[in-house]
Amino acid sequence: MFATVTSVALVGVEPRPVRVEVHIGAPKDRFALVGLPDTAVREAKDRVRSAIVQSGFPFPNRTVTVNLAPADIPKAGSAYDLPIALGVLAAAGSVPPTVGSVVALGELALDGSVRSARGGLGAGLVARDAGLPCVLSVQSAGEARRVPGAEVRAVRSLSEAVGVAQGTTPGAPIKEQTDLPHPGGADLSEVRGQAVGRRALEVAAAGRHPLLLWGPPGSGKTMLAVRMAGILPPLGDEERLEVAQVWDAAGRAGRAETPPFRSPHHSATVPAIIGGGSGMPVPGEISLAHRGVLFLDELGEFPVNILNALRQPLESGWVIVSRKGVSVRFPSSFQLVAATNPCPCGYAGDRLRPCSCSVPSIERYRRRLSGPLLDRFDLRVAIPRPQREDLVGPPGEGSKVVADRVAAARAIQDERGMPNSRLGRGELDGLRWTSGARCLLETAIERFALTGRGFDRIRRVARTIADLDGADPADEPHIAEALSFRGEW
Amino acid sequence: MNARLQLAYVGMHPDRRAELVERHGSPESVLDAIERGRIEVPDRARRAAAVPADERLDQLASAGVGICLRENMPDHLAELPDAPDLLFVRGALPAEPGVAVVGSRRATGYGTSLARRYGTALASAGWPVVSGLARGVDGAAHRGVVAAHGCGAAVLGSGPDVWYPKEHEELGRALVANNGAIVTEYPPGTPPNGWRFPPRNRIISGLSRIVVVVEAARTGGALITARKALAQGRDVFAVPGDVDRPTSEGCNRVIRDGALPVLDPDDLIEAVSVVLGPPESALTRESSDEKIDDVVGRTIDELALEHPVSEVLARVARLEALGLVRREGGRVVKGR
Repeated sequence: MFATVTSVALVGVEPRPVRVEVHIGAPKDRFALVGLPDTAVREAKDRVRSAIVQSGFPFPNRTVTVNLAPADIPKAGSAYDLPIALGVLAAAGSVPPTVGSVVALGELALDGSVRSARGGLGAGLVARDAGLPCVLSVQSAGEARRVPGAEVRAVRSLSEAVGVAQGTTPGAPIKEQTDLPHPGGADLSEVRGQAVGRRALEVAAAGRHPLLLWGPPGSGKTMLAVRMAGILPPLGDEERLEVAQVWDAAGRAGRAETPPFRSPHHSATVPAIIGGGSGMPVPGEISLAHRGVLFLDELGEFPVNILNALRQPLESGWVIVSRKGVSVRFPSSFQLVAATNPCPCGYAGDRLRPCSCSVPSIERYRRRLSGPLLDRFDLRVAIPRPQREDLVGPPGEGSKVVADRVAAARAIQDERGMPNSRLGRGELDGLRWTSGARCLLETAIERFALTGRGFDRIRRVARTIADLDGADPADEPHIAEALSFRGEW
Repeated sequence: MNARLQLAYVGMHPDRRAELVERHGSPESVLDAIERGRIEVPDRARRAAAVPADERLDQLASAGVGICLRENMPDHLAELPDAPDLLFVRGALPAEPGVAVVGSRRATGYGTSLARRYGTALASAGWPVVSGLARGVDGAAHRGVVAAHGCGAAVLGSGPDVWYPKEHEELGRALVANNGAIVTEYPPGTPPNGWRFPPRNRIISGLSRIVVVVEAARTGGALITARKALAQGRDVFAVPGDVDRPTSEGCNRVIRDGALPVLDPDDLIEAVSVVLGPPESALTRESSDEKIDDVVGRTIDELALEHPVSEVLARVARLEALGLVRREGGRVVKGR
C-alpha cells in the first residue's frame, strides 16, 4: 500500500530530485498532500482524482497520503500531477509497483491527458543522474532530450504513461523544440556610416566588453546595439544547456543556439530585472541574458536602485535572490550594452543644435550612472548624429563577415582561458606588449590622467583589438585604438 | 572716493547713478540727497549707503575684493564717456587692452568648441581675454584661457562674491589664480538680476580693443556688446555660420553690417595682430613632426571611407595623446 515516484523541483535553476511518496491506508475517503506544496500543487488532488477515473482506473476509496520529500524545498506548479497519479495507482495496486521506477513530471487534464510543465530539462538531468527513464509530456520531452545520456519518453495521457512505465508501449513521438526568442534578422549592412560605432560593436563583441553608446536622439545607438546579437559566436554545448536551464526555470523552455539578447524597458521592476517573485524566485532579465547580451536602452532613465543592483552580478557572473525561506543563486554572466543620451534633452555636445539643459540638470542626469557602474564600461563611444553623406553612402559590411572575425578573436581568448573583459590586473600585468605600446601607454597615463581602472580598461580593450588582429604581443596601434574608445562623457 | 564707494553700495542701475550724479553735481551730494530722502531708493539701499566707507573697505579687504576708481583704470576703459566710477575687482585688472570673446549662452557644440579654442589661442599669444563668465560661449572662452594658463578677465552682472551660474565659481577662481580678474561694478551680495547684464557689457567691450562674436542668435546680450563696442570705437569680429541656422543669425548680420569675419584660431590671431601688433609671446604653433592637416575638420566616418577605421581611430588617438587634436561630436578639431 505504499509506492514512490521520482519527480523534480527547481531550486533557482538547479534541478533537485523530489520523492513523491504515496501511502494508502484505512478505508476512508480522504486525500492529504504534505511537503511544502503551493496552491497549484494542492489543487493536484482534484485533477489527479478525475484523471485517474477518466483513464479507466478506480480511485481508491481509502485514505490517500502524498508526501513530497524533501519537505524543506518549496514545490510550485502543477508539474507533480503525473507522478502523484502514478504513485496512487501503484500504491493502490491498480498497476505493478515497477511503474514507480521513473522520473515523471507533468500536469494532468481532467480527462487524463498530460500537459507540459516547467522543468522538463531538469527532469532530464535528474533522470540521467538517477539512471531512470523519464516520462514527460511531448513538449517537455523535447527539452529533456537535450541532456546527453538521458532516457526520455513522451506521453500524451495518463494511461499511456502507465504503459510506458511498464514497458508495454514505446510512448508518443517527441515534439521538436522551438527556438528561444532572438532578435535575428537585423543585419549590420543596414547601418550606413557610423564607422566608429560599428568598430566599437565588433571590439566589444570580440572581448565581451561592456559597451556604452551615447549620443543625441536619432543617432543610431539602438540600431547599432541590437545588431550585436548577429555578430556573436553561437553558444557551445555546455553554454546551451546553461541557457536552456535558466529559461526553463523562468517557464520559457526552448532551444538556445545563439546567445540570448534581452532589452528590458526602463520601467521594469527590480524583481523583473534582477530576479524574484513570490514563492520560489524566478530568474530576472539579467539571468535570461546569461551567456548573452543585456541591452539597456536609455540607461539614464533607469531607476538608480536598478543600476546599482547590476553592479554585483556584473562583477561576479551570478546573483543571489532571497525570498521567504529560500535563497537561490541564478547565473547572470551577461555582457552589458547600454545606450544613453548625453543629457535630458539629448543635444549636449551636438555641433549644430544647442542643448537646452542647465548644467546642474546634466550633472544630475549623469550622476545617475553612478561612477562605479560607469566604471564597468570598457568601451564608451560617442555616436554623433549621422551626416547627410553617411546616409547616402555605400552599405557597410554585413554581420556575417564581422561575426567571423569576432569568432576568431574569441577562439584566441578561449585558449587564454577567459574573455578579455574578465582579465584582472594580475593577468593584465602578465600580458606582453611591444616597447612602442608601452611608450604610448605611459604618454596616455599622463595626458589623459588615467586612473588605475582606466589603465586596466585600456589594456583589456587593446588586448581584444590585438586578438582581432591576431597579434601577440599587442602593439602600439592597438593601444592607440583602445584609447580612442575611452570616450569621457 | 568714500562717497563713490558708499554710492556703489546702493546698487542702482549705472545709467540712473550717472544721471543723478550729473543732476546733483557730485557723488557726495547724491549721497546726501539719499540720506535726506530726497531721492527715492528702497530702505535697504538707504541703509547700505549709510555704512561708512572705512567699514566697507575692511569688509572688502577681508573678502579679498579690491576697488578700482575711474582715475586708476587703464586708459582704454577710463576714457569712455560712460565708464564706471568704481569697479570691484578680484585679482588685477589687465593693464593692456584685450580681446573680448562673447556669444550665446545657449551655444551649440560648434560655438563652445570655437570659443574654447579662441580663448586658448589668444591667451597663448599673450593678449588678455575678456568675457562674461556666463554659460555657453563665455564659459568656454574662459576655459580655453585657463587651459593655456593665460590672463583673462570676467565681467559679472552680479556682486563679486555672487557666482552666476553657480557651477562657474571654480572657473572664476581659476581665472583669478592665473593673474586674471573678476570685475563688476555691483557691490558684494548683488543678485544677478536680468537688468544688470546689459550695462556690464559696456565694461566687457571697454576692457577690450576687439570684440569677437562667436555665436549669437538674432537677439541677445552678445549683440548688445557688439553694438556697444562699435559705439566705443572698438573693432568687431564675428564667426560666420550657416545662413539659415538661427544660432548664427546674429553673427552673420553683424558681418553683413561690416564686422570682420574670422575663421579658425590661427586666422583670428592674424587679424588681432593687425590691430594690436604682433603678439608678445612667441606663438605656440604646432611644432611637431606629426602632420594633422589631413584629419583636421573631418569626421571619423569620412576618414573611415579612405582608410580602415581601426587605423583612423589609432591615428587620431595618437594625435590626441600628443595634445594636437581633439574629437568633438565625431569631428577632429585642432587643439587640446
